[in-house]
Amino acid sequence: MSVIDLPALWRPENHQALFRLILDATARPGQGADLSPHLGGAHAALGALATFCDNTQTLADLTGTLTDADWRFLDVARAPADQAAFILAQGSDAPTFQPRLGTLDAPEGGATLIVKVASLTEGQPLILTGPGIKTTTSLHVTGLAPDWLTARARWCADFPMGCDMVLADDTSVAILPRTTKITEG
Amino acid sequence: MFPTDTMAQGHEGAEYGFAFLDEDAKRELRRSIFKAVCIPGHQVPYASREMPIARGFGTGGMQVTLALLGPRDCVKVIDQGADDSVNAANIRAFFSLTCPGVSGTTLTEAASVIQTRHRIPELPLRNDQILVFQVPYPDPLVLVEPNAATRRRMHGRADYARLWVKLYEDMVAFDEITISHRYPTRINGHYIIDPSPIPRYDVPKLHQADCLYLFGAGREKRIYAVPPHTDAIPITFADVPFTVEEFIDRKTGKRHCCRRCGATDSFLDEFPDEDGNRVFQCSDAAYCDSRLMQQEAAE
Ligand SMILES: [Zn+2]
Repeated sequence: MSVIDLPALWRPENHQALFRLILDATARPGQGADLSPHLGGAHAALGALATFCDNTQTLADLTGTLTDADWRFLDVARAPADQAAFILAQGSDAPTFQPRLGTLDAPEGGATLIVKVASLTEGQPLILTGPGIKTTTSLHVTGLAPDWLTARARWCADFPMGCDMVLADDTSVAILPRTTKITEG
Repeated sequence: MFPTDTMAQGHEGAEYGFAFLDEDAKRELRRSIFKAVCIPGHQVPYASREMPIARGFGTGGMQVTLALLGPRDCVKVIDQGADDSVNAANIRAFFSLTCPGVSGTTLTEAASVIQTRHRIPELPLRNDQILVFQVPYPDPLVLVEPNAATRRRMHGRADYARLWVKLYEDMVAFDEITISHRYPTRINGHYIIDPSPIPRYDVPKLHQADCLYLFGAGREKRIYAVPPHTDAIPITFADVPFTVEEFIDRKTGKRHCCRRCGATDSFLDEFPDEDGNRVFQCSDAAYCDSRLMQQEAAE
């Protein structure tokens, strides 16, 4: 298969475009990024995985939604959630795992969590503060079990250790780096 | 006067092989850039690739820029404030060869990505712009600790006591902090970074900016970031405030102005003219040119 025949999501130019949108959303936590022009109809969560995963990385799919073809294209090794660099999880299910948080010397080893949610435009707002946010900003989200926020607060309590979250609805993402503080509005 | 050259034509550019590096290398750089933004000021390691120019000539910045660039980008490259130095022109030519569709500019306001050595542009950068620094020495703790593993441990614990002592000794010896470039700067209250060899004049621009700052060190294989709207505080002592270059003429007590455009609000380079007189000129060539253009238009 030549690169021209690849489905859109697996084409390098879409990985570049997805990365820029994700980078901008990371630099501005809570600000949604519409990934749909570069997904070829795939879920935004898969778009985030396609941007970052390859055969040097590990992934735990707690949702069971990745197909055999997705795994082949991602070319990423499977690992249990407590060891994986990337974790794909369902926001409606309360987390029951302990992600990698990195170490004081190498905090970049903290996992990247990609959490599928119902919507990033509806629901009660979460109030966010921290780097990337001028004063405060609000993030609307539905389909995220409340336990996620308490678990995340625990995981991110000892900066620089922690984990970074990519919330994904069907077409867009919003990102919560470990530095973002959340209060419920 | 402002050549906004289109570096290469053709929009078939996004085929495999765009931007010189292979897709695996770019993906690794992107993972490191992502973590660098998530952990402001932390030096994230990556596997530096061989580049067709010698390390020490901006390979770290180039790799970061190549991981960012897509065919809709407009890129500016500056060296000591100038777009037309050999180093800046070579790097811009390299981007044009390897990134079909990417356009080049000397205009700060037209660029989506700016790669720089030694300066931050005078014109405040916007939230849709990224500034990529070429970093020769990423770790400010090298001053006080030779062992890399020990430095990593000190950074993780924000243990900077020995760096403070070093600066304090400087201050006692010279009555002021003598650092002119690479001023140690604390990011988001934790990590202290080397902001690359920018003058003190540029350091306050890191604080609570609208744009994203990325730093690439090719030799040491490290990437770090200062996100937008993040605290970036030059470290200092209560009785010795941080000061920037003021360019005051001792004879008149007034600030020197640029001999070309007359600016009194820019960072100035000082050099002798044909008659041996000291003269001053904007270090940011694009800023100086745009002021001249405005003055010509007004006449
Ligand atoms: Zn000038």
